[in-house]
Amino acid sequence: MTTTSLAKEKLHVINTHVHNIDGIAKVTGRATYSFDVKLPGMLYGKILRSPHPHAKIINIDASKALALHGVKAVVTGKDTLGVKQGIWRRYSELCDEQILPVEKVRYIGEPVAAVAAITEEIAEAALDLIEVEYEVLEGVYEPYEAMKKEAPEIHEGVERNINVTRHIEWGDVETGFEQADYIREDHFFCGGQAHMCMETRSAVASYTPEGKLTIYHSNQSAYYMQALMAGVLGMKEGNVRVIAQYVGGGFGGKFELDGAIFTSCILSMKLHRPVKVIYTREEDFIATKRRTPMHYWVRTGIKKDGTFCAREARVVSNGGAYTGMGATALYLTGFFHSFPYRWENYRYDGYRVYTNTLPSTSMRGFGAPQAMFCSEQQLEWIAADLGLDPIEMRRKNGHYAGYEVPGQAFIASCGLDEAFTVMKEWIAKKGKLPANRGIGFSAAGFMSGGIFNWFDTPYSFSSAVVTINQDATVELHIGATEIGQGSNTTMAIIAAETLGVKVEDIKVHSGDTDHCPADLGAWGSRQTLMTGNATKRACEDAKAQLLEFAYAKMGLNIVYDLDIKDRWVHIVARPERGMPFDELVTIALRGKDGQRIIGRGFYTPHRKGMISPAYSYMLQGVEVDIDPETGKIELLDSLTAHDCGQPINHLGLIGQLEGAFSMAAGYGYLEYMPYEDGKLMNPNLVDYKMIRATEMPETPIHDIDTYEPEGPYGAKEAGEGLTNPTAAAIGNAIFHALGVQMKECPIRPHMIVDALKEKAEKEKAGK
Amino acid sequence: MIHDFTYLKPGTVKEAVAMLSDHVDECKIICGGQSLLIVMRQGLIATDYLIDIKGLKELDYIKYDDKEGLKIGATTTHKSIEKSALLKEKYPVLPIMEERLASLQTRNWGTIGGNLAHADAAGDPAPVLIALDAKIKVGSKAGERVFELGEFYTDLFETAMNHEEMVLEVQVPPMAPKTACAYKKFNLLQNDMGVVGVAVKITVDASGTCTDARVILGNAGVTPVRAKSAEQILVGKKLDEAVLVKAGEAAADDADPVSDIHASEEFRRHLIKVLTKRMARQAWEQAVKLG
Amino acid sequence: MEKKIITLRVNKQDYELYINPKTLLVEAIRDYIGLTGTKRGCETVSCGACSVLVGDLAVKACSVLAMQCDGMEITTSEGLEDNGKLAPIQKAFLDEGAYQCGFCTSGMLMTTSGLLKENANPTKQEVKEAIEGNICRCTGYNSIVRAVERVAKGMYKEESL
Ligand SMILES: Cc1cc2nc3c(=O)[nH]c(=O)nc-3n(C[C@H](O)[C@H](O)[C@H](O)COP(=O)(O)OP(=O)(O)OC[C@H]3O[C@@H](n4cnc5c(N)ncnc54)[C@H](O)[C@@H]3O)c2cc1C
Ligand code: FES
Ligand code: FES
Repeated sequence: MTTTSLAKEKLHVINTHVHNIDGIAKVTGRATYSFDVKLPGMLYGKILRSPHPHAKIINIDASKALALHGVKAVVTGKDTLGVKQGIWRRYSELCDEQILPVEKVRYIGEPVAAVAAITEEIAEAALDLIEVEYEVLEGVYEPYEAMKKEAPEIHEGVERNINVTRHIEWGDVETGFEQADYIREDHFFCGGQAHMCMETRSAVASYTPEGKLTIYHSNQSAYYMQALMAGVLGMKEGNVRVIAQYVGGGFGGKFELDGAIFTSCILSMKLHRPVKVIYTREEDFIATKRRTPMHYWVRTGIKKDGTFCAREARVVSNGGAYTGMGATALYLTGFFHSFPYRWENYRYDGYRVYTNTLPSTSMRGFGAPQAMFCSEQQLEWIAADLGLDPIEMRRKNGHYAGYEVPGQAFIASCGLDEAFTVMKEWIAKKGKLPANRGIGFSAAGFMSGGIFNWFDTPYSFSSAVVTINQDATVELHIGATEIGQGSNTTMAIIAAETLGVKVEDIKVHSGDTDHCPADLGAWGSRQTLMTGNATKRACEDAKAQLLEFAYAKMGLNIVYDLDIKDRWVHIVARPERGMPFDELVTIALRGKDGQRIIGRGFYTPHRKGMISPAYSYMLQGVEVDIDPETGKIELLDSLTAHDCGQPINHLGLIGQLEGAFSMAAGYGYLEYMPYEDGKLMNPNLVDYKMIRATEMPETPIHDIDTYEPEGPYGAKEAGEGLTNPTAAAIGNAIFHALGVQMKECPIRPHMIVDALKEKAEKEKAGK
Repeated sequence: MIHDFTYLKPGTVKEAVAMLSDHVDECKIICGGQSLLIVMRQGLIATDYLIDIKGLKELDYIKYDDKEGLKIGATTTHKSIEKSALLKEKYPVLPIMEERLASLQTRNWGTIGGNLAHADAAGDPAPVLIALDAKIKVGSKAGERVFELGEFYTDLFETAMNHEEMVLEVQVPPMAPKTACAYKKFNLLQNDMGVVGVAVKITVDASGTCTDARVILGNAGVTPVRAKSAEQILVGKKLDEAVLVKAGEAAADDADPVSDIHASEEFRRHLIKVLTKRMARQAWEQAVKLG
Repeated sequence: MEKKIITLRVNKQDYELYINPKTLLVEAIRDYIGLTGTKRGCETVSCGACSVLVGDLAVKACSVLAMQCDGMEITTSEGLEDNGKLAPIQKAFLDEGAYQCGFCTSGMLMTTSGLLKENANPTKQEVKEAIEGNICRCTGYNSIVRAVERVAKGMYKEESL
């Protein structure tokens, strides 16, 4: 099933070429980020950070710092309520992080104290004057070490430092392996990755005597920040206003509390003055969170004809010092490791282990890039071992619309089969490649928002309010957060399509908790589907109210339908008969005694299994050239075959996919976070390498037409899922070029050189 | 945070060297600032006086004559070298090296004098210029001195200049007939600093036999390293694969690289081996083709 | 330390500033003049978010002192438009969707403007090499390259006359 007749409804605005509605602000330098905010009387805050990976705080003496001219306040954990917070609010044992710890630090870079001063320079100078007495404790940095009986205890009472375990199982893997003709086991390691948002963590907090706290903050969910800050401050949510109008990137790293928002608030409440805290790039590297490093063990059983029998996987992940979103990443990696295939028997066990390193958390792909790196490479090797066509082997076992992942998920739309066909043609067209060149591809799938409510919100997951003004312009209030992914534009397009007006008629209000309804925000690829549904429903509500007046005015036979398209209210069967939209608005206003038409819409997924209401599918192909003597990898070309249901914003979709590719390719071979004794060795952009323009290949995209019944106009996720397949695709390309199997990511040059050496030695020994 | 300083802006070299002698140990030169401001921000350098020579037009030149060879003034930007038609003709290795040096913005503003004075072990120009037998002219109130560039570097970020001296000019002799120079750095991103770099200059006779060679390694020690044993292997031979491999191995032995997060010492030696082989081949092939 | 008076001509407007000589150009532009379109994304001259034009040259404004630009002509992203009329490069960024979060955008616009001043008809590879010093975490760069190619192809010529 690909296209249904519903999708053939003529769309007027959706998937046309529109400029993002915030584009002009961004190309003229007018867009003001938290990083740019300057309020009258504002002070500057700086954070003193722990130099130790694990230590007790014995005493903090700030007297010298306070004596420095220009210093207004110093705060430590003792100036806070000491709330152990976390985003998994339903589970108190997973709320384990005090942003300013009272007793103990657990990683290098953890905040210990914060200063507010009249200039940033004075605040920084004051940090050197704060005297902290630590009792240094033994640290542990690797999960396998941390699980040992004799390892130091990082959180009181947490046995063997095991923070979370997750188990997913269906079918019976033992029976499955018995049916298999061939079984293969591999160990992998996937490293961490920095979100590296161009806007570092930034906050300006302003507490005023009426008891109101206003915070400008760079985040992915204004509502989460509001609720979490209210929690740690003991305030009412309604008295905390969070504004996140322009946000310089998020990628999964900006929906938990960070030191910038926390310390700026504490300082501002103490001083009753606005306080700004901006992280340096180094602070952003060492003291935010990161993609979860994972040790993967994978065992796969398969029949000679390529039928998948059983898959078993075990993950031990480096959780770092706190839980964050790590519990979700541990679950999702296990779930998406099964994707996009029909395993009759599947078992996954995940262990997230505390260590004295930077906490790990969600990052674009949310555990799935690690899962695919292991799964999709191993499948490629299995196909080679068995002499099977790697595309046909996968296709034979792939998801299809109507499939149920046993007990977990229902797949209502799936363009995977076509994606395989597209990839096959692309590879065939490439023909025979020169030496040291290879093509690899990988399949993957991803969710369109999560159904889980560990945050324990009492609100609908998404809400929208739409108000029609007398001049027929439209105010759309949503709680979704625009972080560059284009959600404001997406919602404006959905609203314009639904109401039958133009994109420029819609004014979107988002990212301000005082004025927008609650929404869980921009993570897990949820906004297009969830906020999109809420927006669509709000607009349908308003439209229905308006059309009542149109029916009354036009006095039509009940069998006739009315609709609005391009600002024209008309009879569906006789489109030329009707009236302009603004005329209808005037009539409705008069009819309602001057009340504006207000439409409301909500969305919370129900009966959608364990994970998500809908799933996107994608194949990523890459052509790679490898210098076998130096191990240097060059990306020459690529192809993306992608099913995101009905695309809403054509330009936005391309941008999301290209961006995902660059981040994922960087994860595959460049982005590397080495730690020594708990210290990150490359916390700067000189030593942390990422894809730059010169490293980007062409990125042609083949969009697969499907229709997702649960999504607004048939839409589902785009932009996060494509982070999943790419590292594996690079690994597979290397495998085809050189015949070596790369089990660690990022794949770095010396690993290729070493692998080739090993291969040559083996071949020699074999002779 | 940058330590406070008094800003001085000389209008001429004469004024500049006078300022240097007035403030000797309390001053620092800034030219393009591309490297200096980073280390000042990190607090690694604190100075009371900063002497800004970026505007010294009298040191902004690229001159060539067949007898004296090439002269490049200290305030000449990387961009001018990269785009110079003269250099593309006479010393093509220099613009080629510059194209891969840092970003467009840094090449627009950063200078050759600053680069050479900064003495970063991973700098690109020094190995290439040393392979070209360059000299560096420095000056102070007391007068001028000329060093072989190969002897200019004494340690990491250290040169043979004293604190009253500044770089004035880099001088390169004319290329001998049938001589070519090739340079390549290994890095992960196209214009990134090199993990290691290798410059090789080869002169051949009419039969194609190598009569003279320079092999200079970048980021293979605290200063640029001249791989003399590799040079000895190359001289007197036609550069077939066996000779090239041997030269590469010799260069790897001559090197004294560090281990860091980008490459272990062992991997750096391996890369030097590969790059030396390739650059020697490339320079030799080009030299053979020359009339 | 002696504070200095300098004049920066930013976007065709003279600003007289009284500054500590250690003030970076980016600090003068953002903190003294208050033009916050120019961003900062690192402390190591690595990201390009702070790129501006000094004269016709793209320069990272965190890598030079404001003092060094005394009397010079500086252009920031706010100075690209002419009385509300967008410059070709700005239109091209809109048409290609060459921005997402927008945090790198000012720097990208200025670097590519500098390239186009120097080379009105760059190849794809030349565009990529020109923006190599600018990090964009969102777009994957190709849309930015396409935007510059649009301008190079003269697609906005008539409009901008
Ligand atoms: C992002 C980035 C990437 C880079 N990549 C590379 C690369 O790939 N390869 C490479 O080789 N370089 C690279 N560099 C370094 C760059 O080439 C040099 O920083 C630059 O050329 C130095 O010139 P400057 O004029 O800016 O020197 P400044 O920064 O002004 O000065 C550097 C040092 O030299 C001293 N100095 C300057 N001029 C003189 C003089 N005339 N006499 C005596 N002392 C002087 C200064 O006191 C200071 O100690 C990179 C720099 C950056 C910021
Ligand atoms: S702020 Fe990163 S290069 Fe200037
Ligand atoms: S648009 Fe976000 S960093 Fe470039």
